Amino acid sequence: MRAGNPVVPVIRVLILAALTVSSVGASAPAPGVSELAGRVRDLLGLLAESSPAVTPQAVASSGQDGPTVSIKRLDEPTRIERELRTAIREPLEATTLTVPDGMARLGRYTLGSSEVQSGDVVVLRGDADLHGRLEGNLVTLDGDIIVHPGATVVGDLLAIGGRVREAGGTIIGSVQSLQALESPPPAVAARSLPMLVATRGAGAIGVFLTLLVLGFGLVTFGRPNLEIVSDTVTQSFGRSFLVGVLGQILVIPTFGMLVVGLVLTVAGVLLLPFAAVVFALLTIIAVLGGLLAVAHAMGERITRRQMANGRAVSPNSYRYFATGLAGIAGIWFGWVAFGWVPVAGPMILAVALLGTWFVTTVGFGAALLSRGGMRESFSGRMLPPAMMTDEYLWATPQMGVPAVNRPGKRQP
Amino acid sequence: MKAALLLGTAMVLGGGSAAAQSMRTLTAARPLPVAAPATVARLDFGAGQVVLRAGDGSDLYRMVLRYDADRFQPVQRYDPETGALQLGVTSIGRGGLRVTSREQLAQVARFEFAPEVPLALHASLGSSEASMDLGGLTLTELSVRSGAVRGIIDFSRPTLGSCTRATFSVGASELDVIRLANSGCAEVLVEGGVGRAVLDFNGEWRGDMEVEANLAMGQLVLRIPPDVGVQVVAERFLTAVSLEGLIKEGNSWSSPGFAEASRKVTVAVKTSLGSLEVVR
Repeated sequence: MRAGNPVVPVIRVLILAALTVSSVGASAPAPGVSELAGRVRDLLGLLAESSPAVTPQAVASSGQDGPTVSIKRLDEPTRIERELRTAIREPLEATTLTVPDGMARLGRYTLGSSEVQSGDVVVLRGDADLHGRLEGNLVTLDGDIIVHPGATVVGDLLAIGGRVREAGGTIIGSVQSLQALESPPPAVAARSLPMLVATRGAGAIGVFLTLLVLGFGLVTFGRPNLEIVSDTVTQSFGRSFLVGVLGQILVIPTFGMLVVGLVLTVAGVLLLPFAAVVFALLTIIAVLGGLLAVAHAMGERITRRQMANGRAVSPNSYRYFATGLAGIAGIWFGWVAFGWVPVAGPMILAVALLGTWFVTTVGFGAALLSRGGMRESFSGRMLPPAMMTDEYLWATPQMGVPAVNRPGKRQP
Repeated sequence: MKAALLLGTAMVLGGGSAAAQSMRTLTAARPLPVAAPATVARLDFGAGQVVLRAGDGSDLYRMVLRYDADRFQPVQRYDPETGALQLGVTSIGRGGLRVTSREQLAQVARFEFAPEVPLALHASLGSSEASMDLGGLTLTELSVRSGAVRGIIDFSRPTLGSCTRATFSVGASELDVIRLANSGCAEVLVEGGVGRAVLDFNGEWRGDMEVEANLAMGQLVLRIPPDVGVQVVAERFLTAVSLEGLIKEGNSWSSPGFAEASRKVTVAVKTSLGSLEVVR
C-alpha cells in the first residue's frame, strides 16, 4: 500500500458523491442501472490506492523469439489468459508482445467514434472503451470492455479478469467475460489444532467404545465361537492371514456367482434381494467378528504374559478382549495425538490403517477357516493330555463352565 | 529447545490456513445475428448443476459457467457458417480427489438458446443434476446422455418446428421427461443402464409417437394420457412388467380401441432384468 496524502481519499469520496448525485439528478435522460453501476465502479477503481493507473501506451512487438499470442479464436479463454499472463513483465513497460494481424496496448484503450480499427487488439491492465468501429477481436486482461452507443464490433470480445459492458453498441460476434478467481469464503476456515485433536479423539473413542460394546456382547452370547476363532488366530496365524487376503479378493466374484446362480434358476430370482442382504451381513459379521477375535487373542496373549511374570490378574474373556482392543486402539490414538504433524502425521495414519487392515485380514481369515467358530481344526484346541503343562494348567480355570470348554476336558 | 517451540508454534499456526479456492465464472453469449443457420449444439458438463431454458431472443445463445478451474476449462466454440456450437467444460486431466466442502466447489452451468432458431441439442451431462426446460425452443433433434445423479427435462410449452427424434441415455441416473408430447418428436429412443427413466406423454399432441427402449437392469415408466392409444411390444427376459389396463396378445399389449385411436404411441421394448411400467 502506498503512503499518500490523507486528504486525497476524502476529496475523492466527495467527488464521487457529487458525480453520483449529478448523474441521477441531471435533466438529461438518466443512465440505466447498469451504466450507473459501471460509472460508480469506475470511480471506486480510481479510489483504490493500491492499483496505480497504467500509462496508456503501445506494447512493443516481441520479435521472432518473443511471446506471441494469437486471438484469432477465442474458444479457450483460459489458454489465452495463461499466455498473456506469461508474457507480462515487471515493470509493465518492459512487456513485449506480438499479436498476429493485430496490436497490443498497455493501460486504458479508447477507440474514438470516428475511428476504424482493423485487426485484433489486446489490452493489458486497462479498460477498452469502444465508440468507433472495430473489425477484429478484442481481448482485455484485467480490464473491462465497454461498448458505447454508436460503436460497432465485427468480431469477438473477451474480457479476462473483467467484464464486457454492452452500453448500446452493436456487436456482431461473441461476448465473453472470464472473471478472476473467487476469493475464499470466510466460512471455510480450518479447525484449530485443539479442536482437530478433540474431534478426531472423539471419533476414535466413539468407534472403539462401539467395538467394546460389540465385543462384550459377543463374549456374553457367543463366547464358544469367539474363542475358537481367537484360538485359530493364535494357532494358525499365517494361514489365517493368507485365507483373509484370498477371501477379500474373492468376496466380490463370489457375490457375482451367487447372483448369476440365482438368476439362472428362475425361482431363485425371487431370493436375490434376500440373498444379497444375507451375503452382505455375513461378510460384515465375518470381518467384524474376526477383528474382535484378533483383539481377544491379543489380549489373551498379553494377559498370560502378565500372569507368567507373577502379576495377579483375572483371566477372563472380557479382560482379554478389552486388553487386545486397547492395543489396537493405541496406534489410532497415536494418530489422534500426532496426526497433525507434517510428514509424521500421514505416516502414523498409514501405519494405523495398514495395521488395522492386517489384523482385520487375519481375523477374517480365521473366521473363514473356523467357519465362524464352529470348526476347531485350525484352532489347536485338540490338545493331547501330554501338552497339559503345569504353566498351562496354572493359567487355565480348572473348574466351572470355562473349564468344561477347555480342550483337556474334551479328550476321551 | 527454543527452536523446537518456535517450529511447533509455526506448525500450529500454519495448520489454520484455508484451502486454496479455484472457482471461476465465465459468461459467454452471442447476439442473435440477422440470419443465423440452424444451430447444432453440443453441451458437455461433467459434474454440477445444469439449468437450460429458452432465452429472451436477444442472444443466439448465452452461457454462464461457474466451474472448478483446477479441474476444468471452459469451452465456447461456434462456427457461424455451419451453426455448430460447443459449450461447457472440458477436463484438463488432473486426477485425484477434491477434499473440500460440496458447496465450495459447486459447479453450475446455465444455458439459454434463442427460441426462434432451429436447434439440434446434444447434451452430455455426466454426473450433473440437470433441470432443462425445452419448451418454446425450435427443437429439431434432442439427445441427452445422463450418467449419474438426476435430471428433469420439461417441455413446459409446445416446441416450434418439427422434432425428428429424442434420445435419452440413462446410465445410473434418474431421468424424468415431462410433457413429452409438447416436443413434437416423432421418435423417442431410451437406452437404460441401471437407472430409472420416467417418460410423461402429456402435453399437446401433434402426431403419433414411436418409443423404442433398450433396457439393461433399468426401470422405465411411461405415463400416457388415457385418451391416447398405446401399444407395447416387448422382448423381455426376467423383466417385471406392469401394463394395467392393456390387453395382451402374444408379445404385445394394446389399449382397448387402439386401432381407432386418433393419437397413438407405439412402444417397442427390449429388456433383460429390467422393469417396465405403463401408467395411464
